Amino acid sequence: MRKCAGLDFEALTQRALPPSALSLLGLLRHMAPVELFWFDLHFSGHEPDARYLNPNDDAVFDLDGVELDEGYDYFVWACERSRALSANHDLTEPMVRAFPGEDIDLRWIYVHMIEEYARHCGHADLLRETLDNSTGY
Amino acid sequence: MDSFEAPPRQSPAPSGDERAQLEAWLDYYRATLLVKCAGLDLVPLSMRAVPPSELTLLGLVRHMTLVEQWWFEATFTGLAVEEYYANPDDRDADFHDLSSATLDEVRINFDTASQRSRELCVGHSLDEVAQKSDRDGTVDLRWIYVHMIEEYARHCGHADLLREVLDGSTGD
Repeated sequence: MRKCAGLDFEALTQRALPPSALSLLGLLRHMAPVELFWFDLHFSGHEPDARYLNPNDDAVFDLDGVELDEGYDYFVWACERSRALSANHDLTEPMVRAFPGEDIDLRWIYVHMIEEYARHCGHADLLRETLDNSTGY
Repeated sequence: MDSFEAPPRQSPAPSGDERAQLEAWLDYYRATLLVKCAGLDLVPLSMRAVPPSELTLLGLVRHMTLVEQWWFEATFTGLAVEEYYANPDDRDADFHDLSSATLDEVRINFDTASQRSRELCVGHSLDEVAQKSDRDGTVDLRWIYVHMIEEYARHCGHADLLREVLDGSTGD
């Protein structure tokens, strides 16, 4: 969210590094359902909420008609939901909705989320530097 | 060598021992950075493909070589380290000064530093505190592992976009 701060809608939706389709708002819209995919659908075994999109669906990165507030609020809500759903669960606890043949535990999900955020923040670093020259953590 | 070979890469186990998971993720990302460089020769590897950023794929490999030395050798173990690519006039010399770099040297240094890191951690608990404190305060080995995973992942994010701009290729 700090990588997006202070930019307007036009900058946030710009595909600043073609041929890559990535934009800062697209990354935020990708990570909201990634939060829900791991913590809500799989770790907790819930059904997806009505706004849920497959995080890897092109629709996440298609920003026509998207509202900035809506994208931001959904991301904040998804993060809060992840925190609430993992509170009081042991790191060795398996997912309720497991993948066949893979016994993923909460520790794996945490480390995976850290590396997935870090990798996308690497994308955000270069998008932001290309947009307005700003750099930093 | 004309280019880096893509090293074998193993996905981390989905559950189990904490130490094994952290080590597996770190090794996965060491390999991923090289995978992102694989098949390119010195010219594209040294190209600042995403200006105004000064980043290059070869600069990232040189940088992570220093990062390995810094966290495992200098900070955790408390040893005096002779840093690769040191230049007293330029603290970002790892990203600069690529004109005389050779792929053999960069790859050997990276592999040597990574292997040294693995060896220095053997027999040490994740709770063990580093010999030297850092600007982040007193850190333990667990913090260093998690930090290294996120630092590699973030730089692999940079590598993703450099590579895609260079030749259109994408992927984890």
